Amino acid sequence: MRPLWKRLTAIFSTPRSDRELSEEVEAHLEMRAAELREQGLDPRAARQAARREFGGVEQMKEAYRDRRGIPWIESLAKDARHSLRSLRRNPAFTVAAVLSLALGIGANTAIFSFVETLMLRLLPVERPEQLVNLYRTGAWGKGYASYPLYLEFRKHAVLFAAVFARGSAEKVRFEAGGGNSVEYVSREYVTGNYFEVLGVKPAIGRLFTDQDNRTPQGHPLVVVSYDFWRSRLGLDPAILGRVLKVDEQALTVIGVVAPPFHGIEVENRADMWVPAMMSRGEIMQPGQHWIWIMARRRPEIPRGRLQAAANTIMQQYLMSVYGGQRDTAFGKWALAQKIEVRDAGVGLSMLRDAFGKPLTILMAAVALVLLIACANVASLLIALGAARRREIAMRFSLGATRWRVVRQWLVESLMLALAGSALGLAFAIWGERYMLLFLPPGAGEQFDVAPDAAVLAFTLGISVLSAILFGLAPAWRATSVDPAAALKDGGSGQPGRGTRAGFRQALVVVQVALSVVLVAAAGLFAHSLAGLRSIDPGFAARNVLTFSLDYPQAWKGADKEKHRERLLARLAEVPGIASIGYGMPGPYRGGSWMSGIRVPGSARTATEGVQVNQQAISPAYFETLGIRPLRGREFSAADFRSARKIAVVNEVFVREFLPGTPDPVGRAFSFDTSKPEGGEPTYIVGLVRGISHDGLKTSPASTVYVPFRQGEVNYDPTFLVRAPFPPASLLPAIRREIARIDPEVALVEPRTLRERVDDSIFTDRMIATLSGFLGALALLLAGIGIYGVMAFAVTRRTAEIGLRIALGAAPARIAWLVLRDGLLLIALGVAIGLPLSLAAARINASLLYAVKPNDPLAFGLTVTVLLAAGALAAFLPARRAAAVEPNQALRHQ
Amino acid sequence: MPKGNSKPDLLQGTLDLMVLRTLETLGPQHGFGLAKRIQQISAGVLDLNQGTLYPALLRLEQRGWISSRWGASDNNRRARFYDLTKAGRKQIGRETDNWERTVALMARFLRVAE
Repeated sequence: MRPLWKRLTAIFSTPRSDRELSEEVEAHLEMRAAELREQGLDPRAARQAARREFGGVEQMKEAYRDRRGIPWIESLAKDARHSLRSLRRNPAFTVAAVLSLALGIGANTAIFSFVETLMLRLLPVERPEQLVNLYRTGAWGKGYASYPLYLEFRKHAVLFAAVFARGSAEKVRFEAGGGNSVEYVSREYVTGNYFEVLGVKPAIGRLFTDQDNRTPQGHPLVVVSYDFWRSRLGLDPAILGRVLKVDEQALTVIGVVAPPFHGIEVENRADMWVPAMMSRGEIMQPGQHWIWIMARRRPEIPRGRLQAAANTIMQQYLMSVYGGQRDTAFGKWALAQKIEVRDAGVGLSMLRDAFGKPLTILMAAVALVLLIACANVASLLIALGAARRREIAMRFSLGATRWRVVRQWLVESLMLALAGSALGLAFAIWGERYMLLFLPPGAGEQFDVAPDAAVLAFTLGISVLSAILFGLAPAWRATSVDPAAALKDGGSGQPGRGTRAGFRQALVVVQVALSVVLVAAAGLFAHSLAGLRSIDPGFAARNVLTFSLDYPQAWKGADKEKHRERLLARLAEVPGIASIGYGMPGPYRGGSWMSGIRVPGSARTATEGVQVNQQAISPAYFETLGIRPLRGREFSAADFRSARKIAVVNEVFVREFLPGTPDPVGRAFSFDTSKPEGGEPTYIVGLVRGISHDGLKTSPASTVYVPFRQGEVNYDPTFLVRAPFPPASLLPAIRREIARIDPEVALVEPRTLRERVDDSIFTDRMIATLSGFLGALALLLAGIGIYGVMAFAVTRRTAEIGLRIALGAAPARIAWLVLRDGLLLIALGVAIGLPLSLAAARINASLLYAVKPNDPLAFGLTVTVLLAAGALAAFLPARRAAAVEPNQALRHQ
Repeated sequence: MPKGNSKPDLLQGTLDLMVLRTLETLGPQHGFGLAKRIQQISAGVLDLNQGTLYPALLRLEQRGWISSRWGASDNNRRARFYDLTKAGRKQIGRETDNWERTVALMARFLRVAE
């Protein structure tokens, strides 16, 4: 038998063109004619004779063409038909195999869809592999940077082929004209060279150039996406020159981008693009961080040198801006910024940072599940092969080659795998929807994970691979039969040889070992999640609704303040609302507001100011969060009418700046960091416990709470509403009150506080849930494997067991004999699996919260669960063995 | 082939073996050379439509028993030359055994029938 690839290359290399065949035939005819001419025939007659001897040229060519493509397809079709018949004859086997594979392949497809979307899919732009993101770290969050920093990098044309920038895709108001309902679109501010550098072309009209981004507020232009043009503007041919009101700016449409371009952010697609100069912030302020700096690298500059050069540019820039303040706390903080050159060919994604590693781990986990499923199917196929020995022997004696029979088996395996992947795709789509539910709102918006061509290719690839994996060994074993012996023993499906059973037992051991890895991982992640869940966030998260308000752009601070007062008064009347407050940034909003302070008498601030977290809050803020001040009081309405500077601090603040002070009420600190003792004092009126405002995993930082005074605070606050019941039901009433005060104001981002807390640990929840599911799946598949092997062994030993019982062995002893065999396999699997799972746990350690990789609880549970599941799977055949009727069993032989 | 012709139909598979054997004894040959040689050996017993050789050659090549390449014939024409592969050499052994078994079997039947 020749190897498969050689046969395949023979098949694929022979097809020839008709032209070649004609040439060959022509040569043949000419050679014969020449011979005849030599014998004295005239050329015409010689030619005719040659043709006659050759026979019908066209019929031959027809036969040749038939031969050229079809035969291997035809014989494959024959194999496929045969496979279908034999699969239909064994429905239980077929269902078990297809289901096992569907679960394994489905899980792989689902996870791979995410991996592909977030980490592999290149942007639909020119040479995406050259794109880099200049990712800023240090003060003021991560990633985004200031417009002056972009301009600085743009100066260095030697280093980069081009530098451009874009703001995040932001949901903003859009008035389509007509009705007064508030619609939202996703807008991206971009620099003039954005489209040009990306190599994106217009479908109609034109795109921006640097001329369109010169003076602040000077370019009221907009470019829309093709999708937006189609779905929201009905492909209006007169779109060019039309004025759209976006975020209360009147913008003239100059072009539509050719599909499928949707911006460069993976999980947030942009509907329209506006010149960065149209943004409302102080664009030239080095402290305004909002824009993502992108660049096209020069292929000839190596990565290391690029990073080093970027570091130098960054240092020089920082010194030019903050050098004068280098001795102050603020200066040091600002100077600690760094720039990181990151590949951006697959687009920007905030989600990728949080989600990349969990996805990689899940990808490995689903691969293990597929391996276990393959082991199951292989084991089933071996059992089937034993039952088919007679059929195989028959085919051999009828002259089939071993290759022919093996190929037939592989075709059967492939059909199982393809059926499994078809069903698996359905599972995958369902699984992806489920996974999307874990993503915080916004992160999952327009986040398209439907299987695309790459995912389908992946699914097809793994199903073919698994068919070979689970099909080849059983096929090889099944065909190593001695036809004479097989036909003689009547094909009762009972191979007397031990090696066959040995291979299946080895498969079971492998299954158990892999299951240990998955179950242990599930245990670790579950323990970690339980730890996170038991963290006290510092407030009572139950029954609190949070939301923000979106005001008309023209509104000044005073308008918003008036609106807030009216709203609070109105909401106080709504039945069910127990208390209302607001704060900026508010709990679990992911924003931060830092301020430098000096604390008289504190060693910590004796030589320099220190940055602390600041929150601007309303009266009843802590009451709404369900906590009481430990000392002193929270702000009252009266505090907002007085000009006296006051603050509430948290315990961390006291530990850091006033250690040993049980009651800080009456003490003072200052926001003026120019002098060691500070300037104008802010008096502490209350002490609260530490609340971590950034998520469950971050420990609370030193925080000062100050009254929310419009004018001192530049951002809009988050509202908090507490009810004595799940507060989502209050939403319609709240919306109604807001609409009644002013229909121009929209309620946005409603989310319960509990959901916001959950959002902060969404990767942990997702990985714990999914790894739990995968662990259970592995356990189920391994259980089926154990059961199959043990049941088969009992069938094979029926006669022996019957004899033993006839000779007086107690049924319990028989049961124990079988059970012992099963437990031995499981114990062996666990022994192999434990070191593997410890190694895996060490890799996963960074995703575990407050759980050590060798967590005894998780591993103890893993061993217990596996032994229990294994014992259950082995118990059923054992019970059957004990119930064997000696008479029948012996007659069976 | 016209009915009533006394010359035998080509039994399925015999042409294959003939081609393989010819290549084994003569070395690389073009289609015309093969056809000529087969007719020579069969000494007129076999009425071979020379064209039927080509689909057979393709089949043998697809099975990996022969290989082909373009070359120059004696009178310097471009022609496709066929040659035996290693697998083809083995196949000759197998087919010869098969053939001999069939012949022996048929001989026995014919004796019994007499």
